[in-house]
Amino acid sequence: MTMEPFQYWLEVTLSSVPPVRAFMQTGWGWPAVESVHFLGLTLLFGSIAVWDMRLLGMVRGVPIAAFHRLVPFAVVGFAVNVASGSLFLMAEANQYLYNPAFHVKMLLVGLAGLNVLVFYVAIFRRLDRLGAGMATRAAQMSGAFSLIFWIGVIICGRLITFYRPTVCSPDRAAGLLADCILR
Amino acid sequence: MPTVTRLIVPFLRGRGVSGGPGRCSITAPVLDPFLIWLESTTFSTWMRESPSLFAFPMILAAHTIGLGLLAGVDVAHNLRVLGVAPGIPLAAFNRFLPVMWLGLGLNVMSGVALLIGYPTKALTNPVFYLKLFLVAVAVVLVVVIRRPRPHAPKRLAVVSLLCWAGAIVAGRLLAYTYTRLDALS
Repeated sequence: MTMEPFQYWLEVTLSSVPPVRAFMQTGWGWPAVESVHFLGLTLLFGSIAVWDMRLLGMVRGVPIAAFHRLVPFAVVGFAVNVASGSLFLMAEANQYLYNPAFHVKMLLVGLAGLNVLVFYVAIFRRLDRLGAGMATRAAQMSGAFSLIFWIGVIICGRLITFYRPTVCSPDRAAGLLADCILR
Repeated sequence: MPTVTRLIVPFLRGRGVSGGPGRCSITAPVLDPFLIWLESTTFSTWMRESPSLFAFPMILAAHTIGLGLLAGVDVAHNLRVLGVAPGIPLAAFNRFLPVMWLGLGLNVMSGVALLIGYPTKALTNPVFYLKLFLVAVAVVLVVVIRRPRPHAPKRLAVVSLLCWAGAIVAGRLLAYTYTRLDALS
């Protein structure tokens, strides 16, 4: 199985949103959207890190439910970054879709999302009754995974620029994911 | 704010970024010998030229993780001061101070390393001093906002949020607004 046809389809589709490309190519476009992406990062990471640290056992005297009020702010930060990130993707699709750092970043975002899903499906209901005190073992694991995944997302995000793909050589064999620009 | 715009707009219009000579360098010529010397040191050269992922790229990543730990956690505290999550006692956020100071330490170290790698790029750019000033104010506010007072210091929380936002935007703009990449350009 290879993802390459999908990658190419995605590249063509994302690149065909003309106003985005035009906007991002103006002098202010890219720096403005990058700034927003970093503001979103700060809101997302800060809110979720405080929540994760409470799950891991910090400030045990305060009910977990009180800290849960911070989670919507992390969701807002995430939404801001999905929106701003999509603009980068639409403006320079091939620089991201064939970039191994971007691949790992998206994998980690997916794992972070899966972690959230598992948390709310299987862990949160029992946790809410706990109030103050130590979180369950499963909740502690969830907090630890969240911190690891989001720190990984930050690292991979910053590494994207150091893994810019070059054009594929014509004789290369297809792999699972192309890490060079397909023609 | 108009002052800031006047400083930044000309840079963003493409002047200098492509490597043209700095037309309005704010560095006094006396600084240049120092910059030339600093850029010739082993560490500075390593920062710029090492192909290792653990040189420039990971130090840059560490700078962003420190941002998350310091500014990110402080944003959560400011939101609490502004009335979000009222069930958390304000004093509970003091427990996160060690994490925030860890973030500050990480960013002072990574920031100094990045500065040694590209000293001319930063020190000849007014936006760099704006960033340092905003970070300094925000860090002082981390302490000042925790002083005992009769009412929640909501104004300080707003100032702190604005400082962090400004520092983050200024930091991002450093990649776009410099006029000289190194002392010899």
